[in-house]
Amino acid sequence: MKAFARLRLRSAVSAAAAALLLCCAALARSQSSTSPLSSASPVFREVTDETGRTVRVPQPVRRIVSLAPSLTETVYALGLQDRLVGDTDYCDYPADARKKTKVGGAINPSLEQVVALHPDLVLVTKGLNRLETVHSLDGLGISSYATDPHTVEEIITSSKKLSDVLGVPEAGASVAGEMQHRLADLQQRVGALAAKRVLFIVWHQPLISVGKHTFIADALRLAGAVSIVDSEQDWPQVSLEEVARLQPEFLVFADSHSDSAPPAVEMLATLPGWNILDAVNNRRFAVISDAVNRPAPRIVTAIEDLAKQLHPDAFVEKPENGKEKMEKENPPPNQQLASRYSFSLDVLHDHMTISGGRVCAR
Amino acid sequence: MRPLTLRRLLLQCSILVLILFVVVVIAVKFGAVPVSLYALGRDLWHVLLGQRADLSSDYVLIIKNIRLPRILLGIIVGASLSVAGTSFQALLRNPLADPYVLGVSMGASLGSILALIAEPYLSVSPAFAALLTPLGAFLGAGATIGAVYFLGRREGQIDSATLLLGGVIISSFLSAIIMFLMNTLSGNLRGLSFWLMGDLSTPLQKNAYWFLGIGFLLASGAIYTTAADLNLLLSGEKEAMHLGVDVPRVRLVVYIAASLLTGLAVSVSGAIGYVGLIVPHAIRFIFGSDHRTLLPTAALGGAIALVFADTLARTIVAPTEVSVGAVTAVVGAPLFIYLLRRKLS
Repeated sequence: MKAFARLRLRSAVSAAAAALLLCCAALARSQSSTSPLSSASPVFREVTDETGRTVRVPQPVRRIVSLAPSLTETVYALGLQDRLVGDTDYCDYPADARKKTKVGGAINPSLEQVVALHPDLVLVTKGLNRLETVHSLDGLGISSYATDPHTVEEIITSSKKLSDVLGVPEAGASVAGEMQHRLADLQQRVGALAAKRVLFIVWHQPLISVGKHTFIADALRLAGAVSIVDSEQDWPQVSLEEVARLQPEFLVFADSHSDSAPPAVEMLATLPGWNILDAVNNRRFAVISDAVNRPAPRIVTAIEDLAKQLHPDAFVEKPENGKEKMEKENPPPNQQLASRYSFSLDVLHDHMTISGGRVCAR
Repeated sequence: MRPLTLRRLLLQCSILVLILFVVVVIAVKFGAVPVSLYALGRDLWHVLLGQRADLSSDYVLIIKNIRLPRILLGIIVGASLSVAGTSFQALLRNPLADPYVLGVSMGASLGSILALIAEPYLSVSPAFAALLTPLGAFLGAGATIGAVYFLGRREGQIDSATLLLGGVIISSFLSAIIMFLMNTLSGNLRGLSFWLMGDLSTPLQKNAYWFLGIGFLLASGAIYTTAADLNLLLSGEKEAMHLGVDVPRVRLVVYIAASLLTGLAVSVSGAIGYVGLIVPHAIRFIFGSDHRTLLPTAALGGAIALVFADTLARTIVAPTEVSVGAVTAVVGAPLFIYLLRRKLS
């Protein structure tokens, strides 16, 4: 009896296994019969993106999804905001970008939401998005174009190339021209001056600064500053001891809302150990727009802002810009200090978790 | 123990298959993009009747290419983890054994990462390269369970508390090595923290589903051949040996097969914890602890649990996604503490 039951059990198990296999087969077949959505627009243009991939871009590009705040800003700068149909939770500039349909974070966007927006082209950037996201979009038949700027000059060329891909080369030329013009003007003012030695603070606990291959380090150079941290890593964790040995002349903070909150340096002064730095004790610091964190055209404004704060004498014919700013940056401290850091943390989180991902997903 | 009848097994399994079907329907319906089940059903019906050539393109891309593959992955991974947990619990005679708690998942993660690091240095064909990470995960899982088993033995018998402690310590040791690798090696390893928390969001290559499905059937089939022996093992290794069970053979088969299941699951979805702990307990509570029915029902239960957890993970704060590992841990860890306290008292 037991043997019989066992036999029956075995046949039941094998039947179940066969059923499962059949289900798998059915699903696999139904998957293979899928046609990509983009077949609706028959004209394609082949371009090579900044990571060397060949991308088939539907022409014209009418619906854009941006998976990075910097790309959202660039799309707005090119005047293509009406074609932007979706962006990420972190896309907050210009204010109108907040109103776009959100597809989740840059690291883990919802593929479903991206698909539902029927994009002609999804914009990604290598420094922020994951390779797996790009592969998944490929698998879904959705074109994606990747940028990868490492210097301010590359931000300009990258914006120009993107404008060409999106079919508005004139807008790109004008954006690039204005950026170059303003940077050239800045170069005339501060290019010959001795660079100020600064510590760019991405995050303070633990202390994280920028490496020499980042566009932020390049932005500092253009503003007449030089980062005391000279690391091969992009987002190096630095020890306070090392910073104390190098004694930066200025601390540089990036801030998303520059007027209301008190200076971050006031909080650093209350933290144990930080009074080892002369720049903290003497309140020598600069607060610039968080645009410096984003490889988009607006970074030029942040560079100008930093140059004015570090080299006020170079801007004497317009004294109100330099001096007033310095005075404005020293209001009495209050308790809302944490809010100053909120954006930096987002950026840090994004950068620390970039570009890796899953092990077996190829 | 009641004698096994096909009727009972089929009854239990069909109940669970029904629940799984309901959960799959829920998982198909809910997501970042709302889908009308009625419209989908109507379109499917029309396709079946031949009145339409295909579903509308929205459904095709979102349901067929994103949600269903993800649900399928959840089913296979959930079933694998649950069967692995069930067999570890039987073999170690410890209700708290689970691939995650014992550090086996962490061992598989480290194995995957090492395989990923080694891949560029090994000149292997692309077809074999894709197998490297699951292979690394399997070896990592196998080595870890071997080490935990060795640590947990005292005077020839497995000591429950020592075993769990050994698992916890090995797990933290392995995660320290992973941290070290992630901090020192640049490039694409830094982003692994996302995968380590457990993640089902990236669709795999089509072949990978076949590979996973067949691997799951082979390994759990191998474990199922020892189901009757596992029942006897519940009374103790020596006792089982006296009753004629070839204990070393059973141990070898179950360890290898359970390591394979854990390795496969981890290599595609990271370390998702507690599925292998909660599900076998719930199933035992409802259907009893006869491994001849427990193993298949636990597999179905694991599939139900993980598909449900993943549906929560992608809808709670949609369109932003939560790691599915976080969802299972939030539910599983308190249950673990409850079971631990009940066992100690």
